[in-house]
Amino acid sequence: MFSKLLIANRGEIAVRVIRACRELGVRTVAVHSQADTDALHVQLADEAVCIGPPPASQSYLQVARIMSAAEITGAEAIHPGYGFLAENPHFAEVCEACGIRFVGPPSQSIQLMGDKAGARRMAAAHGTPVLPGSEEPVRDLEEARGLAREIGFPLIVKASAGGGGKGMRVVSEPEGLEPALAMAGAEAAAAFGNAAVYLERYLPDPRHVEIQVVLDTQGHGIHLGERDCSIQRRHQKLLEESPSPALTPALREAMGEAALRVARAAGYQNAGTVEFLLDGDGHFYFMEMNTRIQVEHPVTEMVTGVDLVKTQLRIAAGEPLPLSQAGVSVRGHSLECRINAEDPDRFLPSPGKVSNVRFPGGPGIRVDSHAYIGYLIPPFYDSLLAKLIVHGDDRAEAISRMQRALDEMVVEGIQTTVPFHQKVLRHPEFLAGRTSTRFLERLLSEH
Amino acid sequence: MDVKELKALLRLMEGNDVEELEVEEGGRRVRIRRRTAPTAMAPPAALAPPTAARPGALSAGSLVTTTAPEAAGLIPVESPMVGTFYRAPAPGAEPYVKEGDLVEKGSILCIIEAMKLMNEIEAEVRGRIAKILVENAQPVEFGQTLFLLEPA
Repeated sequence: MFSKLLIANRGEIAVRVIRACRELGVRTVAVHSQADTDALHVQLADEAVCIGPPPASQSYLQVARIMSAAEITGAEAIHPGYGFLAENPHFAEVCEACGIRFVGPPSQSIQLMGDKAGARRMAAAHGTPVLPGSEEPVRDLEEARGLAREIGFPLIVKASAGGGGKGMRVVSEPEGLEPALAMAGAEAAAAFGNAAVYLERYLPDPRHVEIQVVLDTQGHGIHLGERDCSIQRRHQKLLEESPSPALTPALREAMGEAALRVARAAGYQNAGTVEFLLDGDGHFYFMEMNTRIQVEHPVTEMVTGVDLVKTQLRIAAGEPLPLSQAGVSVRGHSLECRINAEDPDRFLPSPGKVSNVRFPGGPGIRVDSHAYIGYLIPPFYDSLLAKLIVHGDDRAEAISRMQRALDEMVVEGIQTTVPFHQKVLRHPEFLAGRTSTRFLERLLSEH
Repeated sequence: MDVKELKALLRLMEGNDVEELEVEEGGRRVRIRRRTAPTAMAPPAALAPPTAARPGALSAGSLVTTTAPEAAGLIPVESPMVGTFYRAPAPGAEPYVKEGDLVEKGSILCIIEAMKLMNEIEAEVRGRIAKILVENAQPVEFGQTLFLLEPA
């Protein structure tokens, strides 16, 4: 195991990684911008190095400064968290070149899965279902028209180098194809520096179900079940659960195996997530693979009892997976609500000082947060303030626990999305387990 | 409270190594917090963390110098990068500057080594080196005050 690790991130995930390190006896180095001098991850780490002014581009994305911080502190490994440099193959490569262990997959795997069109091709080539779509990025309108006839409508134009919901346009009929290609291409060029787009069949109201996989450096791989992340607003997940109310054991097994096949094809190591869309008839289709630990990982931890971050550290240190597929069991039900520092009606960011905070507690409650009384939320980063996670013996208990937890939660001084989650937790569709990716759209239009 | 009184308070704080001071007088309240590197706020009740010793920048091995509050007119020279501070161009060579030296705008003050690359740090103004706040071979972070210059 490493003796010292640097966390190239901030906020709640940096705190999460520090906690895992603490338990494993690994000393921690926090890096921070000048806006995060009083941040919780800085307080909890054994050492802290300031790496720049507030903007992420001048601090958390500064590869050279982060590597320098690792050098001067003698850190042997770097955990990139999620976001920032976590899925930057260049960063992983630099770590490899400097002899510093990157806690994650090899840079080539990040590269392969980062090309979304390429990842689709790879999945298809390995017997994993994909939505009908273009094999390669689309060359011109002529080709697009031909493909569209084969794929059928509605279809979606998507950025090859993309993710996070950018560079996408839904096309319902042939006339809409030309403008959609132009707009998606322009958005893709602006957001990812690459205008290449591909076409894919669009499912009108699917569920988003993702599979957690973990592979060690010795070729052993397992999946840890699914997370249903259908409740999204503008492609941002807000509430996640495991198991998915839509999955049968047979479907779970099929999706788990499909996910592992894709991961192995990419030479994957460490923890990763394969995202699928699930239609109403129980058909699943590969969407993309996320080559990092995800925000919603606690939901899987609660139902499987596996500490994913400690597992990441152990795999990065060369240890074999201690668990076999047969040893993985899912017990009970877990929900996670992402509490953002945002206005609960319009979802506008609400930075400022947290004058009071009281987290819920008691059986089956877990809170992952970097907030504390007096914390000044900087306006430079994302608005995630806390993850409220519950576990229950079944979905009904998990729901009643989350309702209690949301009611107990107190945050003052800023606005949060707690009231929004309280609404969702009372909604008949949610209670019946009938959510899909357009659920939120429907709920929000009801007001 | 006028500037003279505030200055006196600051000197008092510095002299007694006090980080934060709050004074209430006749219905008016002033709170002064010195900018030390780094600040750690007391972990509050909401999280009840196991209080270990508060983390210092770059930990026990290196010297963490408390930056003095900017007394009238002294200009801080801050590190633009993360790395190791060296006073001289090579081991055994004469340091670039000593306290009391007069430097011109563009004079090299020190080297910061980052990832095996030596970066020369230049003075931005003409002035006298009033104080050198870091030691040779000390790790430094972004924004850390290296020198205090008295403009000339």
